[in-house]
Amino acid sequence: MRVLFFAHLKDVTGCAEMQLDCAETDAEGLWRQLLAAHPGLERFRGSVRLARNAEYAGPDARFSNADEMALIPPVSGG
Amino acid sequence: MHLEIQLTHAPIPASLPPPAAAAGAGAWVEFRGVVRGEENARPIAALEYEAYTPMAEREIQRLLTALAQTHPCLAARIIHRLGVIPAGEAAIYVGLAGRHRAEAFALLAQFMDRLKQDVPIWKRRALAQMPEPVRTNLDPPAVGAHGGTRPTPASPASAEEVRALLARICPPLDTERVPLTAAAGRVLREPVCAPEDQPPFDRSAVDGFAVRLDDPGPQFRVVDEIRAGDWKPRPLRPGEAVRIATGGALPGEELQVVMKEDVRAAGDTITVLRRDADRNIRRRGEDARAGAVLLAPGAMLTPGALALLASAGCVSPAVTRLPRVLHVATGDEIVPPDQTPARGQIRDSNSTLVRAFLASWGIAPEQLRVGEGELFARPDICPSGAEPDLLLISGGASVGEHDFTRRWLQAAGFTLHVTRTSARPGKPLLVAQRGRTLAFGLPGNPLAHFVCLHLYVRAALEAWSGRAERTEFAPAVLAADLAGEAHGRETFWPARWHLQDGAAMLTPLRWRSSGDLTPLATANALLRVPAGAAGLTRGRRVEFLRTECGS
Repeated sequence: MRVLFFAHLKDVTGCAEMQLDCAETDAEGLWRQLLAAHPGLERFRGSVRLARNAEYAGPDARFSNADEMALIPPVSGG
Repeated sequence: MHLEIQLTHAPIPASLPPPAAAAGAGAWVEFRGVVRGEENARPIAALEYEAYTPMAEREIQRLLTALAQTHPCLAARIIHRLGVIPAGEAAIYVGLAGRHRAEAFALLAQFMDRLKQDVPIWKRRALAQMPEPVRTNLDPPAVGAHGGTRPTPASPASAEEVRALLARICPPLDTERVPLTAAAGRVLREPVCAPEDQPPFDRSAVDGFAVRLDDPGPQFRVVDEIRAGDWKPRPLRPGEAVRIATGGALPGEELQVVMKEDVRAAGDTITVLRRDADRNIRRRGEDARAGAVLLAPGAMLTPGALALLASAGCVSPAVTRLPRVLHVATGDEIVPPDQTPARGQIRDSNSTLVRAFLASWGIAPEQLRVGEGELFARPDICPSGAEPDLLLISGGASVGEHDFTRRWLQAAGFTLHVTRTSARPGKPLLVAQRGRTLAFGLPGNPLAHFVCLHLYVRAALEAWSGRAERTEFAPAVLAADLAGEAHGRETFWPARWHLQDGAAMLTPLRWRSSGDLTPLATANALLRVPAGAAGLTRGRRVEFLRTECGS
């Protein structure tokens, strides 16, 4: 699974993207893996929304290796 | 509704034709959102935007389609510019065509509100100065997924580009558990929560006598004594008091502690002379509730933070491991500092500078001093299997030696990311990578060493450390003129900063040649002089980076 980081989250993880190898999982499981790789994300978790394949994911969404995930911190365009 | 959506790095044209398919339109509304010349009350030259482009386009489309249900319009053109946008230029353009103005105005207002909630576009940072034209894309292949290309090491990189590159290619190192006694200065990598309420029980804030809140007194009989460390819960009856020491656990609830100074004692009887509303009790959980996060990952373990960990019983915190560092000083002209140099030779000061710099990070490097020819004879100087995280090579001062280090790095299988910077000193800087080893080729003169260590090596160490706060340039006021002609390159001066009336004042320490060593002895800061800035006079606002140990 490809996971993309944006804005200040890139500073936290030190990279713009990473590969996660995971069986089908929910948001909780995905966060567990993300935090294991990048504990620094913990304090941003509350403000970050998950996007799957370029769409915001609902609370019950499940994710698999074929998905492109993105962590969307609060936006500030315009 | 006809939609045209563009996310672009190009400037938004000053004039655009009406959105397509506008036949039948009675109103054509245009809006440009422009980068203001200030951010958080500080003047800025530009803002940098980034986007998750495929999702941003899709969200804009979804948003317009949904809003058009309520405010039907005929056509819309949305352009959002990305990358560095100078102040005064447009970051966003919205053009709407509608049958009447009302729905076009309404759609515009709502779209701009929702854009700022849902569309994945970010103001990345404010820039105090415009960067030099970007001639190189420093995204290494691994992070080049958003349009990055292979680095082109031939073109010089700005100091900011090199620092940004280092922040990207140095993800936080693994963690290790260390005892509290060895954790000072390290970076915490796990949240530490309060195991119990802090304080864990109601305790007295003063030396005095605990009495019932509802007991007016003024005379009480002392029935017990509680010192810090005692645990003696008991009910108090009217007329009863308990002598209690500061920090002692209160014997029950609904009590008040009267300070001993406000009491006259005779045998086991006290008379309260003065009593106010202050209960003089530190309440259970007042400092932190059980389970509350006391320290978050990324926290620097200062003496205060360590004391907090100790109070929470966290005796072996998970912290970022320290990088392994190998420093190689090359050059035939250097001799160890305890030797008298022969004609044409100088004492090696760089090894001491590097060691002291790393010591402020708690890092003890392995250090070697080799002649030029010797380096090439030792391709195994950085053996695989026990690779350092960081390889620092101090070259000689000349361009020839720069090439020499570069050739050695290439021969040893390193990929070069940076071969020159547009900043001075430190123009002939090398940044390279092989596997997990990051290598710097540092220009041999001491001033360039000082600048490159604080500007670049520190950026790598900070990124590796995983600490939440990064050292950034801060505003200051020049305390003395910095005469001289404008220089085409961004320049970093050693300087001394101090606080005066709440403002950081910066005194530049002049250097004539980048070989000068004397200004370094008193330097505690680097002053940034933008390319082309001339005659910076006293009182001018400038930017600086602190260089004190441990900062």
